Amino acid sequence: MVTAVERLPVPPQDAKKPVAPTDPAGPASRGRRLARRAGTAARFVAARPGLLVSCVVVALVLLAAVAPGLLAGGDPLTGTPAERLQGPSAEHLFGTDQLGRDLFTRVVHATSLSLRATALAVAVSLVVGGSLGLVAGFVGGALDDAVMRLVDVLQAIPRLLMSLAVVTALGFGTTKVAFAVGIAAAAGFARVMRAEVLRVRQAEYVEAARACGVRPSGVLLRHVLPNAWGPVLVMAALEFGTAILAVSALSFLGFGATPPTPEWGALVSDGRNFVATAWWLTTFPGLVIAATVLSANRISRALDTERGDDR
Amino acid sequence: MLVPRRTRLLAHLPGRRRAVAAGAAALALAATAACSGADPAGNTAADAGPPVSGGTLSFALAIDPTCLDPQQYGLNASLNIGRQLVDSLTDQDPATGEIKPWLAQSWEVNPQATAFTFKLRPGVTFSDGTPVDAAAVKANFDTVATLGAKAVIASGYLVGYQGATVVDPSTVRIEFKAPSAQFLQATATVSLGLLSTATLAKTPEERCLGALVGSGPFVFGSYKANQSVEITRRAGYAWGSPLWTKSGEAYLDKVVYKIIPESGVRAGALESGQVDAISDIQPQDEARFATGYRVVTRPNPGFVFALQPNAARPVLDDERVRQAIQKAVDRPELSKTVLSPLYKPATSVLAAVTPGYTDLSAALAYDPEGAKRILDAAGWVPGADGIRAKDGRKLSLDVVFGSAFNASQSVLELVQQQLKRVGVDLRLRKLAIGDQNNVIAAGDFDFTYYNVTRADPDVLRVIFGTQGTNRGRLPAGPQDTALTQQAQLVDPAARAAQVAEAQRQLVDRGYAIPLFELAQVHGFSAKVQGVTLDASSRLTFHDTWIKG
Repeated sequence: MVTAVERLPVPPQDAKKPVAPTDPAGPASRGRRLARRAGTAARFVAARPGLLVSCVVVALVLLAAVAPGLLAGGDPLTGTPAERLQGPSAEHLFGTDQLGRDLFTRVVHATSLSLRATALAVAVSLVVGGSLGLVAGFVGGALDDAVMRLVDVLQAIPRLLMSLAVVTALGFGTTKVAFAVGIAAAAGFARVMRAEVLRVRQAEYVEAARACGVRPSGVLLRHVLPNAWGPVLVMAALEFGTAILAVSALSFLGFGATPPTPEWGALVSDGRNFVATAWWLTTFPGLVIAATVLSANRISRALDTERGDDR
Repeated sequence: MLVPRRTRLLAHLPGRRRAVAAGAAALALAATAACSGADPAGNTAADAGPPVSGGTLSFALAIDPTCLDPQQYGLNASLNIGRQLVDSLTDQDPATGEIKPWLAQSWEVNPQATAFTFKLRPGVTFSDGTPVDAAAVKANFDTVATLGAKAVIASGYLVGYQGATVVDPSTVRIEFKAPSAQFLQATATVSLGLLSTATLAKTPEERCLGALVGSGPFVFGSYKANQSVEITRRAGYAWGSPLWTKSGEAYLDKVVYKIIPESGVRAGALESGQVDAISDIQPQDEARFATGYRVVTRPNPGFVFALQPNAARPVLDDERVRQAIQKAVDRPELSKTVLSPLYKPATSVLAAVTPGYTDLSAALAYDPEGAKRILDAAGWVPGADGIRAKDGRKLSLDVVFGSAFNASQSVLELVQQQLKRVGVDLRLRKLAIGDQNNVIAAGDFDFTYYNVTRADPDVLRVIFGTQGTNRGRLPAGPQDTALTQQAQLVDPAARAAQVAEAQRQLVDRGYAIPLFELAQVHGFSAKVQGVTLDASSRLTFHDTWIKG
């Protein structure tokens, strides 16, 4: 049996996290190792064309979010009324809307807002849910019971309904929508976090840290948290796809940014009255949302399971 | 002086009705279509053959009527149903705006326009068998007056109501504290349609859900919220409006209204034959029904869709800014781009089909250069982003709007682009109805955006009069004087002169930025014949029949 003393100096870090190398062989060897690792990653991705496509999609979406002007230089807000409701063409990739605005430009410029809302939503659920689960699992007892019953109640309410209730109370706007989506998803994070903390809490190195007189906050932050957050971070990656959908759903329902600011969900919503006469108005933004969600899920699946299989 | 003419007209009426009833149905239907300005699709009734009784019309509504009581509610969907259930004292000719007898055979108005005496038609009964007599009429007006704000539209028609007197069983006199020339037209609206005394005794909520007994050509059947409404033919109905072509009972056995909010689904339901007719065809769907269908359309009379400035706000209290915005809006472009030719660009604050309308298209012409000159002169200087500013304050204004009319957001986004061309930033604030009312009551807005349907120019006094709702916080001025004056004049010519003056003042001083005339656009399958829209652009199904 491994004794606590032997394990104490180096608490095991997240197995998936590379340990910072102290390389005695110098820069040449480090370069070779990096090259080898890059080669492995490339082979890994090349063996999975679906993953490759997903990476390209996500890269494009990120580019659109950071520098929309590079992909579409036009004005997303002002249109040319004479060019209204034109179908997809070389000049207008996604066609034009009822005011003659280029739909591709609008979709590209909507990315930043929709992605920011999604990232914020995931961050909110990660921080709120994670903290609740961490504290509940670590402290235990009555506090654990109280927090987890609250989480049970949250989970009993359908998430979209919960988001709607929160956003109705907060008011309209992209940030508020993100917050509402984040709160509704927090319960799941709390559960996973607590389960992990309960497991880690029993570990010998935690007992050892306690025995050595480390303060509870130190034990929690330095020994428990780093070893419990792996599954929660993977869950956050998975959650990203769901959050894009939820944010888009709320903006579809009209809770998002004020018109004419484009948002993915609002673009689909604006186009739905034109389904019979201008199919592209709702089809292309819808496809973009679907592609982004699928890509995010594909990548998170690769991070979660396949990387481990390959190693 | 007006009354003898009306009485004379009445004397000719029975003959005219007989003639119409006996005449060829085809001719009669064509005449009706011409009257209502309907049927542009070119489906002449001539090839439809003789009308047949029977059948069920299924009609898809765009929105749940919420409350079926026409005295209480103002939604188009509820009024279009209510119109079939209740009759009114008078009817209004959609072509001329003239008031015609209906349940009242004749009437007298005193010269001050404060007392209206109606002589009722004999033999009319509500569908519960009770007679439509002077006592019932009095009970109706008394109830509307006590409903107050619950009667959204009708209470506005009864402002200053003093009381009703039963002179004899078939004569009733309605009196007002102040002159109310608009009241005669109001008696032609479905909002002042008559309900039985038993119905009036019910609670407003019960009436909303359909506990309605009227004297109309159809009788209420059932109402399932957000699903359907059914009405059936009234047996023994014999007191139709003289403007209708068929005498006696309606042709249709039954009308089933289905509620289909999504416009694409609604249009698809008509195309696939799931329903015989749909309401509110969207501008973008009009082309789908250009051939093989009957599109029944008529502009809504009354106050057009407009931006109404809050004249108490800094910036908009400056007449020059309002005038510049008036010139910066390209109305024909709105109609051409986001609407359709059925929605005419506004040429006054009143729609062209409203009695008393004055053409002010010259004052409402698109003149962006003129707008820029006015703003330059007023000290608003374009900034780096193209938006003008003055004393560190940006020329950025918001507009509060709802989604009652589907294309509203597109319209406002285009107006936003047009104003941006002259350096004015318009911010769109889309609100739910409840929030909208709160914001408007608090005065926390620069512009509101809405329309009000009414086939009488008095609608302007209700909106802009300093004694009316006055959402725009207008100060007293020449427009107020003209609006007060027209309410007291019974003589049409004298009244029209005051109404014209009021329209000119409102447009010139920029108290309203008219945009476009709303239109009712309903689609019917080709087998449905004889659909008409009354003077207030409400559907009437009494003359409607289905070709076998």
